[in-house]
Amino acid sequence: MVTFIARRLVVSVLLLLGAAFIMYQLTALAGDPLEEFYQSRLPNKNQLIAARTEALQLNVPAPLRFFLWLGGAAKCIIPFANQCDLGLTAQGQKVTDLLPQALGSTIQLVTAATVLAIVIGITIGIVSALRQYTTFDFVMTFVSFLLYSLPSFWVGILLKEFVAIRFNDFLGDPQLGPVWIAVISIVVGLIWLGLIGGELRRRVTVFLVSALATAAVLIYFSLTDWFLHPNLGPVLMLILSAGVALVMTALMAGLKNRRAMLTAGIQVVLAMICYFALQPLLNISSIYTILILALVTIAVGLLTGFLVGGPDRGLNMRVGAFTAALSAGLILVDRFMQAWPSYLGESAINGRPIATVGSQTPNLPGDIWIHGVDSFTHLLLPTLTLMLIGFAGYTRFSRAGMLDVLNQDYIRTARAKGMPERVVIVRHAFRNSLIPIATIVASDFGALLGGAIITEQVFAFSGMGALFQRGISLPDPNPVMGYFVVIAVMVIVFNFIADMTYSALDPRVRTRG
Amino acid sequence: MKFRRIGAPIAVAAIAAMAVTGCTTTNETPSTTTGGTITVAEVNEVTSFNPNTPQGNLDMNAKLTGYTRSGFFYLDDKLNIIPDKSFGTVEKTSDDPLTVKYTLAKTATWSDGTPVTADDMMLAWAVQSGFFNDSTTDADGNVTSGTTYFDYAGDTSGLGLADKPVVGDDNTSITLTYSEPYADWQLINPIDAPAHVVADHAGVALKDVMSAMQTMPRGDAAKPAAPNDALKTFADFWNTGFDATSLPTDKTLYLSSAGMVLDSWVPKQSITLVRNPDYKGDLKPKVDKIVVRFIGDAQAQVTALQNGEVDIINPQASADTIKSLEALKNVTTLTGNQFSYDHLDISFNTKVFKDANVRKAFLMTVPRQQILDAIVTPQNPDATLDDSQLFFPGTDAYDAAIKVNGSSAYDKVDIDGAKALLAGATPEVRVLYNTKNPNRVASFQALQASAAKAGFKVIDGGAENWGSLLGSGTYDASIFGWISSGVGVAGVPQIFSTKGGGNYSGYSNAQVDSLAKQLQVTLDKKAQDDIQTQIDTLLWGDGYGVPLFVAPGVMANSNNVTGVVYYPGQAGVGWNYWEWAKK
Amino acid sequence: MSIINEGEPRPVVDAAEVRNITVGKSQGRLIFDRFVRNWVAMASLGVFLAVIVLSITSIGAFGIPGWWKWAYNDLGTGLLNGGAPTLSLVPQWLGGDGIHLGEHPFGQTLIGIDYFAMTMRGIQNSLIVMFIIGILCAVIGTVVGAVAGYYRGWVESVLMRFTDLVIVIPVIVLGAVVGKIASEHFKGLGVLGLSIVLGLFLWTGLARLVRGEFLTLREREYVDAARVSGARDARIMFRHILPNAVGVVIVSTTLIMAAAILLETGLSYLGFGIRSPDVSLGLIISQNQTAFSTRPYLFIWPGVFIVVIALTVNFIGDGLRDAFDPRQRKFVPRRMKERETAS
Repeated sequence: MVTFIARRLVVSVLLLLGAAFIMYQLTALAGDPLEEFYQSRLPNKNQLIAARTEALQLNVPAPLRFFLWLGGAAKCIIPFANQCDLGLTAQGQKVTDLLPQALGSTIQLVTAATVLAIVIGITIGIVSALRQYTTFDFVMTFVSFLLYSLPSFWVGILLKEFVAIRFNDFLGDPQLGPVWIAVISIVVGLIWLGLIGGELRRRVTVFLVSALATAAVLIYFSLTDWFLHPNLGPVLMLILSAGVALVMTALMAGLKNRRAMLTAGIQVVLAMICYFALQPLLNISSIYTILILALVTIAVGLLTGFLVGGPDRGLNMRVGAFTAALSAGLILVDRFMQAWPSYLGESAINGRPIATVGSQTPNLPGDIWIHGVDSFTHLLLPTLTLMLIGFAGYTRFSRAGMLDVLNQDYIRTARAKGMPERVVIVRHAFRNSLIPIATIVASDFGALLGGAIITEQVFAFSGMGALFQRGISLPDPNPVMGYFVVIAVMVIVFNFIADMTYSALDPRVRTRG
Repeated sequence: MKFRRIGAPIAVAAIAAMAVTGCTTTNETPSTTTGGTITVAEVNEVTSFNPNTPQGNLDMNAKLTGYTRSGFFYLDDKLNIIPDKSFGTVEKTSDDPLTVKYTLAKTATWSDGTPVTADDMMLAWAVQSGFFNDSTTDADGNVTSGTTYFDYAGDTSGLGLADKPVVGDDNTSITLTYSEPYADWQLINPIDAPAHVVADHAGVALKDVMSAMQTMPRGDAAKPAAPNDALKTFADFWNTGFDATSLPTDKTLYLSSAGMVLDSWVPKQSITLVRNPDYKGDLKPKVDKIVVRFIGDAQAQVTALQNGEVDIINPQASADTIKSLEALKNVTTLTGNQFSYDHLDISFNTKVFKDANVRKAFLMTVPRQQILDAIVTPQNPDATLDDSQLFFPGTDAYDAAIKVNGSSAYDKVDIDGAKALLAGATPEVRVLYNTKNPNRVASFQALQASAAKAGFKVIDGGAENWGSLLGSGTYDASIFGWISSGVGVAGVPQIFSTKGGGNYSGYSNAQVDSLAKQLQVTLDKKAQDDIQTQIDTLLWGDGYGVPLFVAPGVMANSNNVTGVVYYPGQAGVGWNYWEWAKK
Repeated sequence: MSIINEGEPRPVVDAAEVRNITVGKSQGRLIFDRFVRNWVAMASLGVFLAVIVLSITSIGAFGIPGWWKWAYNDLGTGLLNGGAPTLSLVPQWLGGDGIHLGEHPFGQTLIGIDYFAMTMRGIQNSLIVMFIIGILCAVIGTVVGAVAGYYRGWVESVLMRFTDLVIVIPVIVLGAVVGKIASEHFKGLGVLGLSIVLGLFLWTGLARLVRGEFLTLREREYVDAARVSGARDARIMFRHILPNAVGVVIVSTTLIMAAAILLETGLSYLGFGIRSPDVSLGLIISQNQTAFSTRPYLFIWPGVFIVVIALTVNFIGDGLRDAFDPRQRKFVPRRMKERETAS
């Protein structure tokens, strides 16, 4: 395994070099950075050309210039030396100064979109597979194909119009009209109906109960201006974290597993205690406090599992950790919701929270909660837009993978010998259905980074994509190469991880040929 | 399946709980509003605090100095020169030789408390005149001998006519004496970066630099002198020292002499300007803060304005942008002309148009009204054909000129007339235009269809890199735009005289050459207009080309902001920021 | 860790075998029958063909004129009613204007070009882009993936490293750079050039998937059996293994084809795709993106056609997958019982 990894690393470096060389030559062909001077009417035109030629080393032929560039780039490998040199832009700025600025916002965007697309895509794909040829399956198939068929900037423009502006207008007077309440309730009812399924009578019951309950809640929200003062509150906290505990136990251990139930139950109690006890701490928290709390939470979950676990410690520790993490997450969500009213009241926000441009509100005062909400309102639409690129693919592939696996003999065997359906699906089918997804995730990551170029333009999100877009249009080669290096390293790392995952998930794929 | 059995109760319970918790409310009160912040959207980011170097010569850098640097005058929206007496006075003391005196007011101060002095004006003069440069460059642009001190991105030929200024009035005034009359003398604004900051950062004593400036003779490329170390170090800092990618820790790099001073800069996102507490001049801003956000996409700017994220925008104009702006509630849309115009030029470099009749026939087929109706009318219903190569519509000189310059022959498409002139010939015409600009594409398509009726075979020579093809002789006609500052006459010889740097058409007319030369030394506005009208008439007569339309521009502001006035020039929407107020 | 019988081989219906046990019906016939029974796929195929026929007959193609009166680059006779669309679909008895196309059913651009003709031309070009990219990707990706997955060893290393080399550069980045180069040096690529260049780079994901399938499938007994009985490698790969991997190929190819239209749209939005005065659906959408709130018909019609094409292609692919690969049909005990009695 070690030699395998070492060999892959060497190959990856060679790959990077090869791709960088190709990219460098292509970029050099893509246009002359001196072009803007040719139409210049300045008397000192020649001097300007000389200055830029000097700064960008344009007098060296491109194949050789690559090695000059590589010499500077190679210094990036030296740790902490701060010697990195990726060249200058046409404006004489260091590319290494621009990259970190651009990288930050793009990483936020792409990570959020990838994680969401994977989680939602795979979940929906698997549920569709389990409910193959039901209405839910058809609807999800249609929806994922539809999303897959929409140009992303088109979606971006629509989202800005309908989600940002209309929702913000709505917040000015957050009263839902009867039509909206009816529509939302019916849709929610249909979703639950699709998810739960069953016989006709049960379907009707599920639909009616969920639709009516939704309507009641919405009316209540409208009457109490909940949208201006959202919160979970202790009761909902309790119910939601209990729900998390139930679902986690059901998925990972089965509801009959008393120990797992106990482990999860303890997490719920702890979460409720923390919910009350930690509020003062949260009010003065920094991002590091939260990180430490998160680590402690997971440790507590693991520890509980270990102590309660009995013979099946590993399983209980997993249940404990997941339940703890998710219920702690709920506490954070609640805290962010508490920051919402003061966020709305900021003069820079002026009651219109959902943003259409940029990644943050300039000069926003406030604590991490306010800034967290600010990031959320800015990231929401671009993330959604970007997510659509990956979402449909994941849904389709995980559905296909799951169906493929479900029809295998060993699944039939497992069922035949009386294993509970949960065990069959979660233990036998789910893991194997993930195998093809691993490769998709890696190759889609590149597509997602590429898609970020368009998304960033639509939402005036000045990240890596904007850097590339500007660089290639001008043309200005060094920012393009800076963009490329970062993106290529990320793609290579992801592919590497995918290969590792692949051999971890499917031992039949031998690591050595 | 267990899954299913537990699903339904969870759904019900979850929704019920949502209802219950709706009761609890939080009692946080919104923080008090500070008020007085205006947010402006701009396309490009700041890259330098010095907009006068080649690498810093970007619109946003210039706009930033608009907020933070006072001058002897500013141009209003009608392009009148409005003096700012609280900064200094300009006085023409003699016509022959042309002598101008610039005197600083007592209120002129940098935001670190240092008064603005003649040293600062000397720096600006040294930059804008290129007085000390004695470099020679070869064809590749490499300096072969001598020294270039300040890398100035502008034209040094105007101020270069003046002798070394005389400093007076206790180091608060300079007097410039021109060797020959200079038509655009009123547009000289001798103020640039703070000289003491440049000297401090360069590590030289300011007085050494000033004495070097006083003693050194005019640079002579034929006899290059050894570079002056103090001045060279000083100039080198000016050339690159103000470039930045984020807010420098050293505040002196972005000193202000005007109403606003830079306060913060979030790279790639925004800059924030706050009221300059040390500003004592007349153009005091009404708002406390101006935030400039960088939003490249026009549609994104419109949505951001609609969503209240920005208060003022200045996007690329298009009919749809304007329509969607006008459809917005609580938004005021300001439209007008820009100082740029699209035009079709005949290339005299190739064979096709050697014959004047072919030129005229081609120009007769240009569907100018159709192009205007398609591109400009939707944005500016009052737009008329642009009938002058030299004047902008809306000025008196334009109205006078178009009556006599012979443009009326080309107002309407005349296919029959063109056919008659062609006498059965079917010339092939390659037309160069920018394929990335939809207006140019539309103009080209309209021209292609129309010219074909008269027998021209119009070949699509559009390219994205049209700029580098200008003057290359690979096309027979070109559609592109000129951007002008809207003031001054220095641009005329550049474009129309035989050896002008912007004469890509290869046009040559001795009469035009001599008139253009005469124009440069004419100080009287009336006489200037007269000469320009003569040139205009000659251009129309020679079949130089036709102007297509003056580009429309758009600005928009949300109605909670007042004082925003449309501005046609490059200073952009912030030209009168001191009049902005928030309701 | 949970226990999965990973080592247990999955019995896979060997294509050659199926032919023997199924009386009277060829494999192709079976697939065809299964496809025809899938009404969603059939309906999609119908719509898809209708779109192709509409786009080709209306404005014509390959120099043959169509029945529509305007051409996509014809300036027409000036703006009619401000360029508003004349299409009416509300019958008179419902209070509408009756069902008719009118002079310019989809409206006109600002300079008076008929938007219906432009949209049709855009469909033609987008279809060309889609098909060329789809075919190139399917062929290259399948061959590369199959060879790599089957031979393994250094062949796999070389091919997969080459695949990685291409994957390292995101497609849209490559597309943008290549598009920019083309406009610098060759006055733009044109529809064919653009699609071929993109097709040469888009196959990598498919190759990796096919390789993954082959890696698993080559370990099966029937492959060993075929090998023992002396079948050549190419026969094993393309006759025995490929039919079992064809689902993956078809699903990915349809996804790629649908993605190809969107990629071209994105490149046009960034200014590196098909260039004016030629037309593609992506180009006209991006040209008219500012018209969204004022002249939505310019924005909506090409968008509708993109969505329709991409959707139907996806559904056709889905139907084909089901037809090729009946293993993914639902596990129904009753049907299983029938199958058991039949065999």
